[in-house]
Amino acid sequence: MFGVLYLKECRQVLKSLVYYIFVVVFVFSVNSQMGGESWRALKEPQPGQVYYGRTLTKDETLIMEGTLANLMQDVYRGSFATYPLGFYRGVTLTKAERKQAEEILERCTGEKYETLEKMFEQRTFEEAVADTDFRAPVKEGFTYEEFETAMEEVCGLVGKGSFYEKANYENNIYVPMTYKQAKEEFDALCAKDLITRGYMRLFCDYAGIFLAILPIFVGVSRALCDKRAKVQQVIFSKPAAGMVIVGSRYLASLTMISIPVFVMAFLLQYPCYELAQSMGMQADFFAFLKVPCLWILPEIMVVLALSFFITEFTDSILAVFIQTAWGIGSLFGADTLVGNFGLKLVTRWNTFGQSMLYASMEKELLLNKGYYCLLTAVCIILTVIVYEKKRKKGGAAYGKICKPDR
Amino acid sequence: MEKYVSLTVSFVKRHYYPHLLLLFLFVVFSGGFVSFKGLEREQAAKVMEMYAAFTGILLFTPLFMPEQDKEIWDLERSKKMPLWKVYCIRLFLALIICFLVIMLFIGFMIRGGSTFEPFILFRGAFCEILFLGSIGFFGSAVTNQAVIGYMLAVIYFALNNGGGRYLGNFALFWMMRGEYGTWGYWLLGAAVLFVLGIIIREKIAAK
Repeated sequence: MFGVLYLKECRQVLKSLVYYIFVVVFVFSVNSQMGGESWRALKEPQPGQVYYGRTLTKDETLIMEGTLANLMQDVYRGSFATYPLGFYRGVTLTKAERKQAEEILERCTGEKYETLEKMFEQRTFEEAVADTDFRAPVKEGFTYEEFETAMEEVCGLVGKGSFYEKANYENNIYVPMTYKQAKEEFDALCAKDLITRGYMRLFCDYAGIFLAILPIFVGVSRALCDKRAKVQQVIFSKPAAGMVIVGSRYLASLTMISIPVFVMAFLLQYPCYELAQSMGMQADFFAFLKVPCLWILPEIMVVLALSFFITEFTDSILAVFIQTAWGIGSLFGADTLVGNFGLKLVTRWNTFGQSMLYASMEKELLLNKGYYCLLTAVCIILTVIVYEKKRKKGGAAYGKICKPDR
Repeated sequence: MEKYVSLTVSFVKRHYYPHLLLLFLFVVFSGGFVSFKGLEREQAAKVMEMYAAFTGILLFTPLFMPEQDKEIWDLERSKKMPLWKVYCIRLFLALIICFLVIMLFIGFMIRGGSTFEPFILFRGAFCEILFLGSIGFFGSAVTNQAVIGYMLAVIYFALNNGGGRYLGNFALFWMMRGEYGTWGYWLLGAAVLFVLGIIIREKIAAK
């Protein structure tokens, strides 16, 4: 019974215009983003190179210098970017607030604001010429605890979701790599990530952005299909259990959404795999399956399951608004483009490699994905419960905004 | 006239009010998402283009909700009044609300001490929001599925975040980059999509 229904549902998805729009938009969007082909520049670092790339630092002094430089820049421009609920919210300080921000800067750096301003103007010019980052000086003897307190004061001025929150500034300061670091990084990419896994993480980063939103429409459209076709009552009367009907529909949608994702992953991975092979490096051929299964599949699962649940519960397209806001919020609310997964729906890894950093964050990613798998199961169970209740009551909707037309 | 008023009231009461409620929440909670205080010209444009733009999607996409039910559509077609007139009345209602919402956002920014040319920003924002809304309207009109209308409008909005260069003068977010001259294209695009949407829909219904 389940197998027959599953195949039937797959055919239904294939007949849906929403699905084809999803496929076209997904393929076009991911392809346009992945055009950079960063893997082509793959080569072992050599001693004496001018530039080895950049890496995230956890050094407290460097974090303080970088964060204060950022603060200097924001005060100078008079505008702070914040993401209080995931959406961009530009904050412009009043004169009094700006004065306070300047005082905080003076306290942290031990320099007059006017001096810092001159230093900033001069250094940004140098930065443009020498391609080095501007770093603000830190007052001698100024402790990290004092710095944290000062940043809390800045957060008080600009509101929630700014760069000056601890989780943000501690995960956003990058420094140039040394030869030793670059060599270790390269070795880790070859040994642990087998090249293609690193590349597939970058693919998952881009694909994850689109897959936070696009499956909503497929889910809503599938969950509303019976209502649109006016066959709800007929299907309610069938002997199949709610779990079988909802489960087969859900799995069919999940399968159909996953197919273009894995096909795209394979097509994009293949040239990278070929290059690694031609260079005599060992590459993981099955990375196009392994990495997206861990990284993207739980995201598609939860987005789809939630859209099924909300649509079944409200008998409306409310999921489109709620989940689009969630997806955009999660994307814009990212405090860094690499790591710091937390419980974010869209987990970012906008870089090719950084294998050592990834190894240190893998547990956090697994927790994130595990959480969303659990949430998926809860959503599906709730959808089945709602479906069965509607079935018993002959189609009365729970949580429906307007009464069904009779 | 009475007939038109009665049609509008019935549409709002039976189908449109959840969307208006959502729009109301969108406006009421806007202060939590975007700042209206002390904005300069480009920042004010950013608020209109990145946030207020969703007004168009919320208002114009669900205008064919009643006819998603084929029986209602058939019943409406059997009436004396042509359907295009019914659609135009709904469109007119959405236009008035859109106008008011944009005025409200501009009012918030003026009250917050922002500095920009209100008329120029209003003109650009109104045309841009209308254009984005017309994409949702057209999608719903042609496919008779509001989900596809929303999908196309959201995709167009997302596409402009990074892919705007492919869309020329019809790209969004020009104003926050200081370019205010594309309002004519947006208005033209919106007018074409609104008219084309209704014409194609009528052709589909006639088959």
